Amino acid sequence: MAVPATLGADADRAFRQDVLRHGAGTTVVLDCAPLARLDALGAARLLRVIAEARHAGLDVRLAHLHDDARQLLATVDPAILDEDRPPARRNPFEAIGETSLGAAGAAVSVARLVRDTAASAAMPFGRDGIKWDRTLQQMSLVGASAVPIVVFMSLLIGVVLSLNGAQQLRQFGAAIFIANLVGISMTREMGPLITAIIVAGRTGSAIAAEIGTMKISEEIDAMRTMALDPIRFLVVPKVVALLLMLPLLTVLSNVAGIGGGYLVGVFFLDLGSNAYLSQTVQALFISDVLTGLVKSAVFALLIGVVGAYRGFSVRGGPEAVGRATTSAVVTAIIACIMADACFTAFFYFTE
Amino acid sequence: MTAARDMTPLLTVENLVAGYGDQTVLDGVSLTANVGEILVVLGATGSGKSTLLRCLVGLVQPRSGRVLIRGRDITHASRTEREAILRDVGLAFQDAALLNSMTAAENVALPIVEHWHVDEPTALMLARMRLASVGLAGAGEKMPSELSGGMRKRAGIARAMALEPPLLLLDEPSAGLDPTTARALDELILGFKARGNMGVVCVTHELGSINTIADRAVMLARGHVIASGTLEEVRATPDERVRAFFERQLVHGEKRASVADELAWTK
Repeated sequence: MAVPATLGADADRAFRQDVLRHGAGTTVVLDCAPLARLDALGAARLLRVIAEARHAGLDVRLAHLHDDARQLLATVDPAILDEDRPPARRNPFEAIGETSLGAAGAAVSVARLVRDTAASAAMPFGRDGIKWDRTLQQMSLVGASAVPIVVFMSLLIGVVLSLNGAQQLRQFGAAIFIANLVGISMTREMGPLITAIIVAGRTGSAIAAEIGTMKISEEIDAMRTMALDPIRFLVVPKVVALLLMLPLLTVLSNVAGIGGGYLVGVFFLDLGSNAYLSQTVQALFISDVLTGLVKSAVFALLIGVVGAYRGFSVRGGPEAVGRATTSAVVTAIIACIMADACFTAFFYFTE
Repeated sequence: MTAARDMTPLLTVENLVAGYGDQTVLDGVSLTANVGEILVVLGATGSGKSTLLRCLVGLVQPRSGRVLIRGRDITHASRTEREAILRDVGLAFQDAALLNSMTAAENVALPIVEHWHVDEPTALMLARMRLASVGLAGAGEKMPSELSGGMRKRAGIARAMALEPPLLLLDEPSAGLDPTTARALDELILGFKARGNMGVVCVTHELGSINTIADRAVMLARGHVIASGTLEEVRATPDERVRAFFERQLVHGEKRASVADELAWTK
């Protein structure tokens, strides 16, 4: 097909649509003979069409291209004139394979980070031990600052759970069992998970942003050249703070969630304060609370290590830090929910 | 200290090959640096100067070749050995790379606390002395964001010198600085040389600095050493790229000087 003599805005749009109308795998020969003169904007438009067509799997070839135009196109991308290269589109198996290898590589890197963090934290005290001053600072940021939001969210979750349960249980005259529903749900599942999601949003993103920013400003490299281990200085205090504070926040979340259920049970369903509390105590076993706390410790490790991994993976400029921050939160939440599913399945089949 | 120890070069680079992905940035680079001299590594942008510097401190693992610092191989060292070797090296980054969450004094005190195991107040006092020695007396309590470009570079050099390493590596110390500040930094570097117990490797393409500080020079182009020796020997190398580098720098220098003169005259 012929390239228009001048690649103005309208001609370019129509030409692009014509080229892209062809199906993947088709060979399209662009006859450049009508192109009497090609300026920079025209060259940019032609290159865009070629790039998009090749991305869509078309085999694009250029015929009768003037030397001047050839030279101009080659200044932008010499490879664009390489007509014998295979189409850019990968087949789905290649894409799946590449993604799987990327995920496996990331998993190996995270495992290495866990190993290095554990090795650095193995000696808690002494000259080369954990930096407790930094850890205390992180505990304040991770724990104390998160208390209001964790309590508020958990209270609302408790209210929501009990209101939803009430609709069903009242039909059978079993409204008192809302205490069981809320107590067990909060301690085993909702408390640890809600706390982990909040902390992943607050702290996981902060870890990725801090380490990522330090990476692009060469601060991490500077630490390494000073023979200072960035894992010991940056990752260990954050992970230790998370390991200590997330279970505590989970306990607060459990109490707040049960408190939300109590408010609904006592003031909306008229269950009576003592009846609600004694039903909660009867329903809960210590193992329920401990299960939640074990989960929260694992979630803490996941949030800290994933945030650090995303931070250390930053390449490029500030926008890469933004991307790392987002992916740290998303990955940490997915990892926590996957771990939660594994725990729940394990406890279900073993109890 | 034995005579044999004195003969050991401070830094030896042997046939270094390094790169990123498929790209080879350094291809068989060899050089030495000795105590009491300033070795300038020069070359155009993209010639591999900064990668060489990163290889010297183990930030980039070379594909082959080795780097010896006081006779100890950093390229094949374990983590513990590398950390021990790095205590003999100070690297001042091009953009200083100060830790932004700490004051200038805390930045300088960090390696002192960690490696000399002194308490923090004493380390901070020593850090202020180090900062004063690079002309930053009284700036210790400032955050890096409150320092000018030249001050940040000086603070970076003070941090690199915190442990009084025998080998100081400088990455483009005068790049982006006005001529007065650049000259002051050159004098600072000459001051380190005058101590007589250390060597300096300075990566730069600023001809003014090269003329002032270089005892010996190594010129890189596309990852190869194309000239080495004293500055006169490098200048006399019959290589088009060497001649082009010095002539172009000279033309730029003259242009800058004429513009500066013109501005001064119009004032």
